[in-house]
Amino acid sequence: MIGNAPGQRSRAAIPVGLLVLVLLPLILMPIAAVFVFALKGGPGEFWRAFTTEDAQFALRFSLLIAFFTAVINAVLGTWAASVLSKYRFRGERPLAIAINLPVAIPTVVVGTSLLLLWGPIGLFGKMLEPLGLQPMFTPAGVLLAHLFVTFPYMLGSVKPLLDELEVTYEEAAYTLGAGKWQTFRYVILPALRGGLFSGTLLTFAHSLGEFGATVMVSGNLRLRTQTAPLYIFAQFEAGHVAEANAVAAVLAALSFVIFFFLLRYSGGAGNAKR
Amino acid sequence: MAFQGKARPGVSVGIVFAAMANDSDLGARLRGGLILAAGAALLLYALWPWLPVPGRPARPRTVVFYGFSILGEAMNQAVLPEFARQWRQQTGERIEFVTSFAGSGTITNQLIMGVPAQAALLSLELDAERLAKAGVIPAGSWRRLPHGGVVNRTPFVLVVRKGNPLRIHDFADLARPGVRVIHPDPLTSGGANWALLAEYGSAARRFPDRPREAGFQSLLGVWRHVTAQAASARAARTQFENGFGDVLVTYEQDVIKDAAKGTLPGEIVYPPSTVLSEHTLVIVDHNIEPSERPLIDALVAFLWSERAQALFVQNGFRSVDERLNAANPHFGVIRDPFLVGDFGGWQRVKKEIVDGIWKDRVLKEVGR
Repeated sequence: MIGNAPGQRSRAAIPVGLLVLVLLPLILMPIAAVFVFALKGGPGEFWRAFTTEDAQFALRFSLLIAFFTAVINAVLGTWAASVLSKYRFRGERPLAIAINLPVAIPTVVVGTSLLLLWGPIGLFGKMLEPLGLQPMFTPAGVLLAHLFVTFPYMLGSVKPLLDELEVTYEEAAYTLGAGKWQTFRYVILPALRGGLFSGTLLTFAHSLGEFGATVMVSGNLRLRTQTAPLYIFAQFEAGHVAEANAVAAVLAALSFVIFFFLLRYSGGAGNAKR
Repeated sequence: MAFQGKARPGVSVGIVFAAMANDSDLGARLRGGLILAAGAALLLYALWPWLPVPGRPARPRTVVFYGFSILGEAMNQAVLPEFARQWRQQTGERIEFVTSFAGSGTITNQLIMGVPAQAALLSLELDAERLAKAGVIPAGSWRRLPHGGVVNRTPFVLVVRKGNPLRIHDFADLARPGVRVIHPDPLTSGGANWALLAEYGSAARRFPDRPREAGFQSLLGVWRHVTAQAASARAARTQFENGFGDVLVTYEQDVIKDAAKGTLPGEIVYPPSTVLSEHTLVIVDHNIEPSERPLIDALVAFLWSERAQALFVQNGFRSVDERLNAANPHFGVIRDPFLVGDFGGWQRVKKEIVDGIWKDRVLKEVGR
């Protein structure tokens, strides 16, 4: 990139131009369209659409769910990664595959199976029913769906780092008299920082935009379980394009910021091990 | 990142590198703080409505109300706020409505799966029957409500492109070659089932000597030309507005307001004969706490009050009280309107027309 001779640069013009031309209608223009349509009615109209009670609730609800999902899966994922990378056991591979499965299953299927498991006719649902508990169609149901769908991200970001981390460091820490917690805090955690950071951001970003599983388990209740993507979908379906686009634009902008952090800093932090 | 790639700790650049590492440590800390601050700000924004800020009124009591797709605006903006206002006047208590509007079949499935709705307005009595069968509500409980549970009505109409370029005046015209019909999906949309009855019934009534055959031919003609099926009547309308198709089959209510304002990208055509859909209210007792009973009962009574019915008329629904319908000058004239009762009620219509003719014969013929 940096050492390119001028000749190379001019030769790049044609393939790069071609690439941009192909990507323009495929990727770049749809992204631009969200913002163009969001601001079509002027900033006042955008602000009105963005500050309605429903829109504000949906955005806040989505952010909260994403926060909780990211925090819970950061802990769960790191734990799973440490168990998987530390111990060798029979059935290790099948377990690893099963844990990674959520990325491969269509999210609508996830939603359906959660409904069938936790809903009033499901296995868990039947046990909870007499207690008056019903997680589906409540924020808890949405959280369950998001935890499921985003679980592999943390694992994928942290496990490679743990695998690389040599056991000798850990042993050295023990010999130096460090306790289990100290070893984790001062030896393992710093090495995982980059992975934790990118895994958490990935989880957060995915949760923020999750649709397929959420639409099944949330019940789509405005002011109660309607996430931002569901709000966008509902408003667009009802023909309220301005309302839908205002939130869509903000959601897209948020994802850009998250993605920017991810690209800009996680690479650096990941290399910081040296 | 270019920096990371280039800087390899070597002997010659050792000192420089150490200095840079120090510097980037500070930078990293600054960056970390910045990211943390941004995250905290986002969290604060998200949590804001739930934070105990002094002077904020206590959260009001909530009522969970589900309804089929086209009800959204009338309920959220007119009828429910009016009830909340009256209730507050009478009791001093604030109530908040938590609502969800989707295709009637979708709502019904969600009710069966256990959504916490306390009352729901369905577009189809059949959906109420399904709820009763699933044990969500007692069988026939809605028939004990005023008007047999029917809250309001609206006829099924056609929406064509401006100027009616294809000169469509009746369901029979949809059978002409090249006409593209946008139709909601009878699997999830109550409105779509009414549309089937409208398409069948209008022909059956014109040829009383051979109603079944005429109805079948009418359905066949329409369904040969259905080019898009949306999950709800609302979604079908959005497709039409986005430029798909030549004709939309839908509720009069869904388009009458925009037609009057001139913002509908098309115009309404009233078929000479069509069905008036009737929308059924169900009360989900097991989601109602004893202490909420008076509130829900008052809401139910309010829906049939003259005030609420007038609001429905204002919002394009036809009232069950015929006298009130004169208040909306935009209602079109239908020469020969009919009700589902004229065809023996929904259970019979479902068995004989929707399943017996549309599903078993028409869909087979058109190859879906």
